[in-house]
Amino acid sequence: MNPILLIARKESGEVLGSGRGLGWLTLLAAVLSVLSLLLVSDTELSLLDNAQVVYIVMGTITALGGLLAVVLGSDAWAGERERGSLIPLLLTPVEITDIVLGKMGAQGIAWGSAYLVALPYLWAVGSSGQNLAQAVLYLGLFGTPLVLGFGFYALGLSVRLGSVRAALLASLTTLLLAASPLLLGPSLRQSAVGKIFDAVNPFSAVLNTFDSVVVDSQPFTLQLGRLAVVVAWLVVAAWFGRASARSVKL
Amino acid sequence: MLVQVDNLGLSIGKVPILKGVRLTMDKGEIYGLLGPNGAGKSTTLSVLTGLRRADSGTVRVLGLDPATQARELRRSIGVLAEDSGFYGWMSAAAYLRFMANLYGIEPSPETLAQQFALVGLEGAEGKAIANFSRGMKQRLGLARALLNDPQLLILDEPTNGLDPRGRRDIHDLLIRLSVEREVGILLCTHLLDDVDRLCTRVGIIGEGSTLIEGNIAELLGTRPGAGLYRLRLGRRIEGMVDSLPQGVKLLAQEGDWVHLYLPSSLISSEVWRTLLDAGWDIVEIHGESGGLEALYLELTEKEGVA
Repeated sequence: MNPILLIARKESGEVLGSGRGLGWLTLLAAVLSVLSLLLVSDTELSLLDNAQVVYIVMGTITALGGLLAVVLGSDAWAGERERGSLIPLLLTPVEITDIVLGKMGAQGIAWGSAYLVALPYLWAVGSSGQNLAQAVLYLGLFGTPLVLGFGFYALGLSVRLGSVRAALLASLTTLLLAASPLLLGPSLRQSAVGKIFDAVNPFSAVLNTFDSVVVDSQPFTLQLGRLAVVVAWLVVAAWFGRASARSVKL
Repeated sequence: MLVQVDNLGLSIGKVPILKGVRLTMDKGEIYGLLGPNGAGKSTTLSVLTGLRRADSGTVRVLGLDPATQARELRRSIGVLAEDSGFYGWMSAAAYLRFMANLYGIEPSPETLAQQFALVGLEGAEGKAIANFSRGMKQRLGLARALLNDPQLLILDEPTNGLDPRGRRDIHDLLIRLSVEREVGILLCTHLLDDVDRLCTRVGIIGEGSTLIEGNIAELLGTRPGAGLYRLRLGRRIEGMVDSLPQGVKLLAQEGDWVHLYLPSSLISSEVWRTLLDAGWDIVEIHGESGGLEALYLELTEKEGVA
């Protein structure tokens, strides 16, 4: 079997078979359970329009997916290094680039698992409305490159910095910065700086797409610009992750 | 020549770590690389395995340059790094299968069972590595290093964490590999007992450079007091001089103690066997040269590195 696939399979086994990985997926399920329960049962929240509820859940899934990707990506290289299991891997006749690519592949499997865990919650809040199919489709189409981009970026940092703590700190800061427009409020987002930030920020692109499609029922053609931003982020992050194989710290 | 290293130099950042390491070893040889903590032993091993690039000097392992031909080299060597980690969530068998697959090997269950038996881990195949003791992990690491049937084994502190019986088992295994399969073994350790028991040649590193290298018997043979032994006897022997093997001289006798000289052409263990057969009741034997330990301490203290 190709070494990239072997490593991706091993990493996925760690995510799905180890206590640590299952813990993260359980946490994701717990957060989504609480959120869905609140949205359905809370008196004020249950007054929200169904499309708004679906949008909130989609945003939460994407944010939690990003968080999961950042944590797993930061640990994927530096964590192995700190636990001593990286050196035996590096001493096999497998290229470092292939090891990095295998770990990037595992990010895809981790996000796929999180996506599958999240689907029942999306169905629970969206089955009574008209936008469930779009929500599932757009979460996959836009959420995947965003989340994987953060995972690859965190993995690249993990390789370059050689420390889980440093990589996690740097990648979490980036994730929070990207998600900051959500905290800025509408007026700041309408300023010139806010508009530029919104235009190049992949996180904003994804949330604005969810809003446009699910809440405002806009067509796909209007989302192409945003899709380009998210795909560009994925490409840059993948390049950053792959190129980090040349900067390995032992 | 299996390994040939000459005038190896390497700096990490601006700190010089290696400043002239030399090392030569041949097929089937067990070579002991000794030195105090921080002397540069593990860094030397990382250069030999292609994990680090040397700044100066020449390095050839199995005729290959580890800096540019690392992938090819790693197909033919097995390495047990110090404190190497494992995937605790995997079973031992799944782990070995995964590592073998990375070498392009698809081991059968029988092959894996043989590998486990070789290192004394029979019955542990299905257990999660997280439940392994330190000694079991060392054995598993050795099994991993042997997966690709290597021509050269590089072992960093292989008997760490093993009980005396475990150490003896590993010693026996390494001797078998060296004799039966002609595997060259580069043993990096601070346990002089391991070197005494296993190695024919030794290199002592201090502050990043080789202080001395050569055949252990020859190195010890040139030391002051070489060939001089003090024996304590349980009872007086009649006709003592007549029972001495040819070449061995009786220098003095003080009470229970006898002072002997053995020329370097004789193997001390064979002389003791002959004397025992001749009825000598030998209670204690002391080498006046102090052996490998004295040589090691003298060299590393001289360099101020002990």
